[in-house]
Amino acid sequence: MSENIILETRDLHYTYPDGTHALKGINMAIRKGRKIAVLGSNGSGKSTLFLTFNGILKPQKGGLLFKGSPVRYNRAGLSELRKRIGIVFQDPDAQLFSASVHQEVSFGAMNLKLPEDVVRRRVDDALRSTGIPHLKSKATHFLSYGEKKRVCIADILVMEPEVIMFDEPTSCLDAQHTLQIMDVFNRLHKGGTTLIMSTHDVEVAWNWADEVFIMKEGVVAGAGSPHEVFSDEKLLQDTCLEKPLVMKVIEQLKACGIIHTPGPPRTEKEFFEIMQSLRPNKKAGAF
Amino acid sequence: MIYIDKYAYISKLSGEDPALKFLFSSTTLGVCLWADSIPISLFIVACMAWASVRKGGLPFRFYCKLMLIPMSFLIMGVLTIAVQVSARPEEFLLSYRLLGITVGATGIGLQTAAGLFFKALGAVSCLYFLSLTTPMIEMLSVLRKLKVPRLMVELMGLVYRFIFLLMDMADGMYTAQASRLGYTTLSASYRSLAGIASSLFIRAYKRTQDLYAALESRGYDGEIHVLERRHDVSPWKYAVVIAWVCALITAAMVLDHSMGGAR
Repeated sequence: MSENIILETRDLHYTYPDGTHALKGINMAIRKGRKIAVLGSNGSGKSTLFLTFNGILKPQKGGLLFKGSPVRYNRAGLSELRKRIGIVFQDPDAQLFSASVHQEVSFGAMNLKLPEDVVRRRVDDALRSTGIPHLKSKATHFLSYGEKKRVCIADILVMEPEVIMFDEPTSCLDAQHTLQIMDVFNRLHKGGTTLIMSTHDVEVAWNWADEVFIMKEGVVAGAGSPHEVFSDEKLLQDTCLEKPLVMKVIEQLKACGIIHTPGPPRTEKEFFEIMQSLRPNKKAGAF
Repeated sequence: MIYIDKYAYISKLSGEDPALKFLFSSTTLGVCLWADSIPISLFIVACMAWASVRKGGLPFRFYCKLMLIPMSFLIMGVLTIAVQVSARPEEFLLSYRLLGITVGATGIGLQTAAGLFFKALGAVSCLYFLSLTTPMIEMLSVLRKLKVPRLMVELMGLVYRFIFLLMDMADGMYTAQASRLGYTTLSASYRSLAGIASSLFIRAYKRTQDLYAALESRGYDGEIHVLERRHDVSPWKYAVVIAWVCALITAAMVLDHSMGGAR
């Protein structure tokens, strides 16, 4: 079990130079190949946590372990960490530095000191898997928000890291772009990449994650499978989070004695299957 | 300026080898300045207009508008050369007596002014050709090949990217202020403008920090390494450009000789 843990924090503390105590003793273990949602309201420390995972911020207290060994905060140690852990920032304009999409995406791979033809192949692969090969020769300042967001993801894919963190990937995106990005995530997951997503959207966490960490004011207030976390009424109340709508509906239906399925459905499809089974002609079977 | 940038990307010549375009426009520019002849300058203006409009697919009206931009500077500059003050009014072709001083234009003065005017126009058309067909990123890669210090090229690239970011921000802030009546009176306008200036500065500073974190997370080591776009380098096209420059130089020399003979 423990060799499965790729990233771990032990009593991690971080205080910003202005005195904001953003992380107050984070204990977290991220298992390889999982889809993890870090859920919390604005200012709960999600983004700070991601920056410490990547070694951009150095914790004042506590430690960060990558595959069981503590991260060394020297040049070699950090570049090793950043090679394996990528972070897609929330604001694409804060991440995109080049005016050319092609050069922008190539940056990370060039920093890995790979041969040029490998970089070229990786850039093409990254653009293809984010569905934007047609943007290759475009200028970044002519792109739409959704396109910029996907360029940001390609930026990281090109480095082929083992863990990718996404800071609020679906915020400000319309439904169609959200679906496209979730599709990219699913493909990455199938390829074995560990994905960590920060979000304040309980529905996204419910639908997508294998494991949910709930953060509040710089501490991990709760962790577990989505079902465990969202069944914990007290935890939800403490962290001011809503229960996912599907779960609420199913609980009501159960309370009324209409259905008796063991766990609530995770996806829309599962939910509709349950609804289908309630149709009158199947009534005898359902009850 | 923003339109020039847009047209550079959609120009039919934007995919051409940037080094070739750079060679073409810079050598033509050199010949234009060296030849110092009105017919050659006019010929260069016509050729560059043809290359930008016909070959590059630029709207002709837009090109004319662009050519009008340097006109006001040119006319002002040239007027100071054409108009002279002299105590001997007999030299002037056109003159005007004002408070005992004669102000006017001499034949030689007019000729120098006209020569300078068209020379400058020719030079501008060469630079326009380059900037209307070559996106900034491609220009930077040419500069890199020309061994311009890396730091300078990187800075130029970042500045270029940030121009658009800051412009967007300023635009957003302006709209937000205008919607709250920030520009109804002159004093309010000054106040609002000051607000934009100061918060743009702070935001730009914040942006650089964010960008630095983002670059660092992708393994930034103090130098920005990126892939250069590959271009088909055609020796044939280079030969054409060299032949063009040689032809221009020859024409200039022949013209100079025949005019010298006439004189």
